[in-house]
Amino acid sequence: MTAVRRWQVGLISGGAALLAVSAVLLSTEVAPDNYLGIGVWMLGALVIHDGIAAVAVFAASVLLRRAQPRIPLAVILVVQGALVVAAIVTAIVLPAIVKKSIGTANASILPLDYLANLGLFYAGLAVVTALAVGLCLLLRRRLGRALDRDVAELGVGAHGD
Amino acid sequence: MSLGLSHARWRVQRLMHQLRHSLAAPSRNPRMAVVIGRLLGAAFLLCFATGLYSHFLQDPLPWMVFPVRPIWLYQVSQGIHITAGIACFPLIFAKLYTVFPELFQTPAVRSFAHFLERASIALFVASSLVQITIGLLNTYQFYSLFPFSFRSTHYVLSFVVIGSLAIHIGVKLTTITRYWRKRDAFAPDGTLVEHRDDPDAEFDVPDELRRLTGRPQAAGVTGRIFAWIDRDPSSSPSVAAARSSRRGFLAAVGVAGAALVVFTAGQSFRLFDATNLFGPRKNGIGPQGLPVNRTARAADVLDSATSADWMLTIVHGSTERSLDYAQLRALPQFDAVLPIACVEGWSQYANWRGPRLKDLMALVDAPVDADVRVVSLQTNSRYGVSHIQPEFVKDDLTLVALELNGEVLDIDHGYPARIIAPARPGVLQTKWLSRLEVLS
Repeated sequence: MTAVRRWQVGLISGGAALLAVSAVLLSTEVAPDNYLGIGVWMLGALVIHDGIAAVAVFAASVLLRRAQPRIPLAVILVVQGALVVAAIVTAIVLPAIVKKSIGTANASILPLDYLANLGLFYAGLAVVTALAVGLCLLLRRRLGRALDRDVAELGVGAHGD
Repeated sequence: MSLGLSHARWRVQRLMHQLRHSLAAPSRNPRMAVVIGRLLGAAFLLCFATGLYSHFLQDPLPWMVFPVRPIWLYQVSQGIHITAGIACFPLIFAKLYTVFPELFQTPAVRSFAHFLERASIALFVASSLVQITIGLLNTYQFYSLFPFSFRSTHYVLSFVVIGSLAIHIGVKLTTITRYWRKRDAFAPDGTLVEHRDDPDAEFDVPDELRRLTGRPQAAGVTGRIFAWIDRDPSSSPSVAAARSSRRGFLAAVGVAGAALVVFTAGQSFRLFDATNLFGPRKNGIGPQGLPVNRTARAADVLDSATSADWMLTIVHGSTERSLDYAQLRALPQFDAVLPIACVEGWSQYANWRGPRLKDLMALVDAPVDADVRVVSLQTNSRYGVSHIQPEFVKDDLTLVALELNGEVLDIDHGYPARIIAPARPGVLQTKWLSRLEVLS
């Protein structure tokens, strides 16, 4: 048996043992009337991930692929990165905004203005993204000019020789 | 199998292939899956270890002894638990993104072993998404969203996540070892060393459906859509473009993770207090400048805690002493600067003042290694009763606090008296004390 094979056997049997522990804990620590709710959440996570998020990512991938020949790659990467960052931060902060609007048990829980702070974050991200895109385009133009000049100089040199 | 069914099967296979092909991107490759997977695995293990520590502090096994120093031990361990949990969001999204085309494998199940592999991945994806989501919602105290007990479910799911993660790593170990080191993953010319041609195979390669029917991939409605998607050969970018694309992807994941940490970790670590835009708690906000979880009103102790008849009763076997507020204040008072560190991850330092717990134990001749049961005036919570292990009871910094930051305790912070000890979760720093019972 190779070393990799031995590790595989160890990891898979260790993982199976932990799943067995979780099954025991489920019966001892969690009230049976919670099982249905947990099952719905687990299934819901798969449906949201495989059914909704996957379709959205597929659509975004296709659009980006079609946009690539027209827009410089660096610009696409910066904008795409900024959108990803904005989406992830929004996903984390949105429940806080909703919960705060519903009401909290006391004033020290969710004490900040999360909607305004999210707006502030978007504004900061937009400025940084715009600066990065501007820098990309500037570098591209300078690089292009330098390349043209080099080609032109090479051409002159060839004639001079 | 009839010809029609056979065609349907190959049609599905072609569609899956087309989906996988159109999802091919430089950042979706096994090396990236290994790079992100390592970070995610480390974050999950960190959460598991710190989570178990927190769990056993609250429900210790009889033989367990816990360190009482450094005083910030629990603040840091639980702060890491919550911060690493939040950092898992971009990492898990990135990991799922890198392996996204695998969703469209054909045939969906090749063998019993393959079925187990896919089932373990489904279990891992579902349990880890639920685990980090309910963990986040718990920090917002958004309990109305889940129809189950947070604490026990989070505990059980941690074993499911780590168990299915171990199985997943075991199943993929050959790929993981192959792409673990950068120099093994890339050829000298910078291209990824591929061990399979799908999903990056060329579009419109002859397949079984074409052999059977002569239909090219670009035919029909779906075929035309996929051909449009694939019209430009951007699925095979130059080596430099592919490298930039991969770096851009890693940078986006890194920036998202860093943004979440910088803008939320201020609830746990003072270093980030100035950038705390999204933390569920903020240092300095709450009664006496300190956050609270459960108010006196919610605990239904407003009357009993402010009653003129209030007394703290200390019991050791047949010996019993009852001290009123003035008598407690007349005992030698000690100061301790300790953090109140919540299981939800927030923490804040404060100056506490009151008699030492070990001095109160001496009043009833309790043994040095006494185990103490603490009973609160609140009766509508499982935290109305807590246990203090001997290492905390005899510690010089464990106080029955009567003052906070130089003022009499606010009623929401446990007036007339509460427990404060180093390196323990906030839920065990029992408020509105009523009885202290020596158990051993």
